Amino acid sequence: MTRLPKHSTSMVVWLLLLTLPFWMSAIGGYTALGSRVVVLALAAMSLNFLLGFTGVLSFGHAAYFGLGVYGVGLTLKYLLPNTLVGIAVGVLAGTIAAAVVGALIVRLRGVYFAMVTIAFGQVFYFIAYRWNTVTGGDDGLSGWRRVPIELGVTRLDILGNDKAFYYLVLFCFAGAVTAMAGLLASPFGRTLLAIRENERRARFLGIPVDQHIWLSWVTSCMFVSLAGALYALLNNFADPHDLRWDQSGDFVIMAVLGGMRAFWGPLIGAAIFVVLQDYVSSQTENWMSFIGLFFILVVLFFPRGVLGILRRKSAS
Amino acid sequence: MTQLILYNLFNGLIIGAFYALMALGLSLILNLSGVINFAHGGFLAIGGYLAYTLMPHIGFWGALALAPVLTAALGLMVERILIRRLYGRDPLYSLLLTFGLAFMFEDGTRYLWGPATVPFAIPDWLSTPLSSDFFFLTGYRMFMVVLAFVAVLALFLLLNRTRLGIRIRAGTLDLETVSVLGVNVRILRNLNFGLGIYLAGLAGVLAAGMLGLQPTIGSALIMPSFVAIIIGGLGSLPGTLMGGLLIGAASGVVTVFFPSASEAVIYVMMGLVLLVRPRGLLGEEGRF
Amino acid sequence: MSLLRVEHVTKSFSGLVAVSDVSMEVEEGELRAVIGPNGAGKTTFFNLISGFLRPSSGRIVFDGSDITQLLPARRVWRGIARTFQVTEVFPELTVRENLRIAVEVASGYRLRPWLSRHSAGKVECRVGELFEMSGLGPRADRRVGELSHGDQRATEIMMSLALNPRLLLLDEPTAGMGDQETYDITQLIRKLHKEQRVSIVLIEHDMRVIFHLADRIMVLAEGKMLAEGTPDQIAASEAVQTAYLGRAA
Repeated sequence: MTRLPKHSTSMVVWLLLLTLPFWMSAIGGYTALGSRVVVLALAAMSLNFLLGFTGVLSFGHAAYFGLGVYGVGLTLKYLLPNTLVGIAVGVLAGTIAAAVVGALIVRLRGVYFAMVTIAFGQVFYFIAYRWNTVTGGDDGLSGWRRVPIELGVTRLDILGNDKAFYYLVLFCFAGAVTAMAGLLASPFGRTLLAIRENERRARFLGIPVDQHIWLSWVTSCMFVSLAGALYALLNNFADPHDLRWDQSGDFVIMAVLGGMRAFWGPLIGAAIFVVLQDYVSSQTENWMSFIGLFFILVVLFFPRGVLGILRRKSAS
Repeated sequence: MTQLILYNLFNGLIIGAFYALMALGLSLILNLSGVINFAHGGFLAIGGYLAYTLMPHIGFWGALALAPVLTAALGLMVERILIRRLYGRDPLYSLLLTFGLAFMFEDGTRYLWGPATVPFAIPDWLSTPLSSDFFFLTGYRMFMVVLAFVAVLALFLLLNRTRLGIRIRAGTLDLETVSVLGVNVRILRNLNFGLGIYLAGLAGVLAAGMLGLQPTIGSALIMPSFVAIIIGGLGSLPGTLMGGLLIGAASGVVTVFFPSASEAVIYVMMGLVLLVRPRGLLGEEGRF
Repeated sequence: MSLLRVEHVTKSFSGLVAVSDVSMEVEEGELRAVIGPNGAGKTTFFNLISGFLRPSSGRIVFDGSDITQLLPARRVWRGIARTFQVTEVFPELTVRENLRIAVEVASGYRLRPWLSRHSAGKVECRVGELFEMSGLGPRADRRVGELSHGDQRATEIMMSLALNPRLLLLDEPTAGMGDQETYDITQLIRKLHKEQRVSIVLIEHDMRVIFHLADRIMVLAEGKMLAEGTPDQIAASEAVQTAYLGRAA
């Protein structure tokens, strides 16, 4: 079922997120890890706008995430040292690219759509990888940092103060997530659910399905590039792997793991995935095998995700 | 200059033949079972490494014969244990599962054989140039072209002339009818998967001799194979073959003029094909 | 002027002719039945009118303009709505959500990212009307996928009606239903036709339903039009008796 989050659930989520920097260290984490969870959760929730609520399988979202990453990196390094402008450039780059690619692929469906999104995702990877002189190639783009934000009366020191940066991330997250929830509760959002549920019926209700899928795709990619922009600021670094296909797979597994049909599902998926990856990669060289095994186990045993299972339990 | 272009065109065609071999295997599996096998590149790498390990014991020819068969056997096992469970479910799940497998294969080969490129010896008489004017026409390159050609020919003969092949093709068009007619679809899909993986293993052995063998060889070759399928048209094996050769040749020629765009060019081609003909060059209408 | 005019329409699939040179005129306010044995091309004929398929040759004129090449969604905008042989609804959504989506699309709100209180109220009101007409009210907040076959079918018909169509195409509305459900659906269709003044074309197998509802009947067999006339004329026609009723009995 597709229920928008209940008020009480959302209240709990927001409360936890707002207080995160104050309890994160008590459970053995650190604030930057919290920022990472929130940023990747935004990416997974953006993907899920398309995957879970429009029923369209994209396996290439890392490309637009990565354009957000490089948009910020290139702006701050070459253009001007202004964090907000960087974010704007990153989001714009991802959105425009998505609009163009989307126009080419909206007529395709199912596995074919998935395959084409994967393939198109690689274009941007190769550009970042090959265009050494500008992007730093395989070494990534370094030599730049996020810049404190001047707010006229006061100055937000997101560089020196981890907590300040966390709240900037959370602010963006809140804006994007509220916008998505609002869209899903609107007539436009309901046409997307309609397409997911039954494309033929949707078409014969007079919904031009391709147009709506394109809009959903562009919206989803816009928010994922916002996530990318924040991710770059978090790391003070742009890594070509951020726009590679394995990153796309990570987003999909986060959405599935948490529960694609639940609004907050990908947030939970992202939290589990990020913490697990953080732990496993600190313990063993062969973390890739563990992550791979984890993918397989999720598919075989938790295809409905954490929230899917909880909901089923409470329904029966 | 002409020679340089010819060299790169020829080189591109050989690479294109790898893409095609790999893409044909992917296509077989996709068409019959609706599964995008992301781990196909991993199987290719395993094929190459098995040949590398076997060679000191049974020689190049023995390895060439045996390694793809062993890879295919691994493929049969993987299909039976894992992939079979996901037929008929949202393609999302098989994608994620094979994605996880791809991770494990890449990491596994790195663990077993090390991260560095390993030397892959081919017989001496195959590595000498055949002509002094066209230095690039080494025996091995010619040999690969011939072998890839034979493999493709054998595949098409198998699909058109044998009972298994005819059933695979019929199942691709209408699985339900085939199953009603008494064909065991589980076994058919299993064998078909094995066949696809055999092609990956074969491509792996050949690629190892030309490109050198390292754990990432699979993930480097899988994306172009996707592009080959998309350009050729989903559901069409001749299309896939054509797509592979086409992008190989194109990226070969572009290498001459603009080396850093040699990868990007195939995606540009894909974009153009989708713009003009969304179902691919030889794709059937209405299939996807 | 007739509402729908189908002119010499033919559709073939790689050599196989499914519909061959069929013409039909439907007047405003008419209820027309299309009957014929299985494989007669009835559904294909419907698919041509609704835009699911394009004819190989021939023309389809709706309300005076040629719609032969229009996409399905655009035909819906002009006033042609349809149901399917296998019920097509949004199974995971509630009846209310199903109807609301249809009403919102019909009101031109499909791209709206928000609704004013006023517009939302209007939508609510229209959904209420549809509930009243159909008797689905008590099940408004159940998921459609959980409902009985008859109620799912009724939901689909009401969704199509929500579009304010001028022509409603119903593909075997009583297929697979028991006596009571068949009766209920028949009454619903009758009510819509009489009260809402919608023109209806329906494919049906159940002769009781057809003779109860139809103003005129068209008989298709093997892709060709065999006969056309009032129910009494069709019942009396010998060609129909042998080709269709005879075989069915």
